[in-house]
Amino acid sequence: MASEPATAVELAEEQRLVEEAQQGNLDAMRPLLERYAQPLYGTVILPRLGDAASAEEVLRDTLATAVEKIRRFTWQGKTIYPWLRQIAINKVYDVHRQSKRSRKLADAMVHEVALESDPESHADAQLMADQERRAHRERIDETMQGLQERYRLAIELRLIQELPREDCAQRLGVTIGTFDVLLFRAVRAFRKQFGERAGLPGTGEP
Amino acid sequence: MATQDDDTLTGVVPDADIEPTPAELAHARRFAELVDKTLAGRTPPAMSADDRALLEVATVIRATHGSLELAPSRQRAVVEDALRQAIGASAAGPGAVTPIARARRWQRAPWLVAATTTLVAAAAVLMLWLRPPGSGGHAHIAPVPEEWTSRPTDALVGPIAREHAGDASTRIDTIFADRLDGFRARRLARGARP
Repeated sequence: MASEPATAVELAEEQRLVEEAQQGNLDAMRPLLERYAQPLYGTVILPRLGDAASAEEVLRDTLATAVEKIRRFTWQGKTIYPWLRQIAINKVYDVHRQSKRSRKLADAMVHEVALESDPESHADAQLMADQERRAHRERIDETMQGLQERYRLAIELRLIQELPREDCAQRLGVTIGTFDVLLFRAVRAFRKQFGERAGLPGTGEP
Repeated sequence: MATQDDDTLTGVVPDADIEPTPAELAHARRFAELVDKTLAGRTPPAMSADDRALLEVATVIRATHGSLELAPSRQRAVVEDALRQAIGASAAGPGAVTPIARARRWQRAPWLVAATTTLVAAAAVLMLWLRPPGSGGHAHIAPVPEEWTSRPTDALVGPIAREHAGDASTRIDTIFADRLDGFRARRLARGARP
């Protein structure tokens, strides 16, 4: 993962690798793929899919497509990351289109992506990844604020702090069985709320 | 208000203090176990569509809070698979990943071996064809004294009479003395060099 903003030297190196790949040495893409695989997975793909196995597949397809189409990429003095990110988002769309079960959740994601996807306004991969992570978190936190207090606590303790069920139940002063019900309802409520916050009419209706 | 199990995704979510039905209780327990396994990194491949949808929400929440990352080994494997997929190299097992640059270098090895062998064979044929006439046949060997050469011992020992058959030591001494003479002669002829 790109841990720091790209320096001019890193950018020059990135340009050299891209040009080398465009001249036919596709293996030159390897350092770039290794650098951007983590931010693509952690901030672009997984938060939009919610399934680690699918996210890994989408990441692989994204990187493969980038290598196949590298000749079409035009270097504009900026990192290749926005281009990779756009490929990844398109792949996520494809997965959601094929999967009707999560369509409403996906629609919520699509709505958000259209607002934030402006590659021209970002020059650095890490800045983009940070911004995207913040945007996701704000959206999750806003949705959490709309939940009942006990549902919010159930999600906070179990999914964010990742405490064992027993500890979660103890903190809330309920039995484990009751905590299971609380978490179950909390996630259902979150799911409904998440879609509704994106302005999708009729979310949660059959 | 009680909930129905088939309303998991679309039905109204009851308030926190409403008693669950036995069906909801069972479903909640099943979902809690799925979450347990997912948090332990052992997400079951098979589950109902409703459970999967809810588990996706849980994963989205976790991913957004940064608690999910791709392991370095998985990341390397994904990059390698992507490059292989893009370049179209033959699929290999995940444990036998060959860096593509190295694989491409070795792709030419059979052709290099074939070309080199052909060149050597052609050069050998050319040399045979171009060599001066009469240069073939046996190589010239300089004559050497007989005592330097390997030779039979019949002349020294001669026919062995039956009564002398057990006297091998004498015969061996005779042969040894003869060969020693040859050795001395050869040594002296070379200026005392062995």
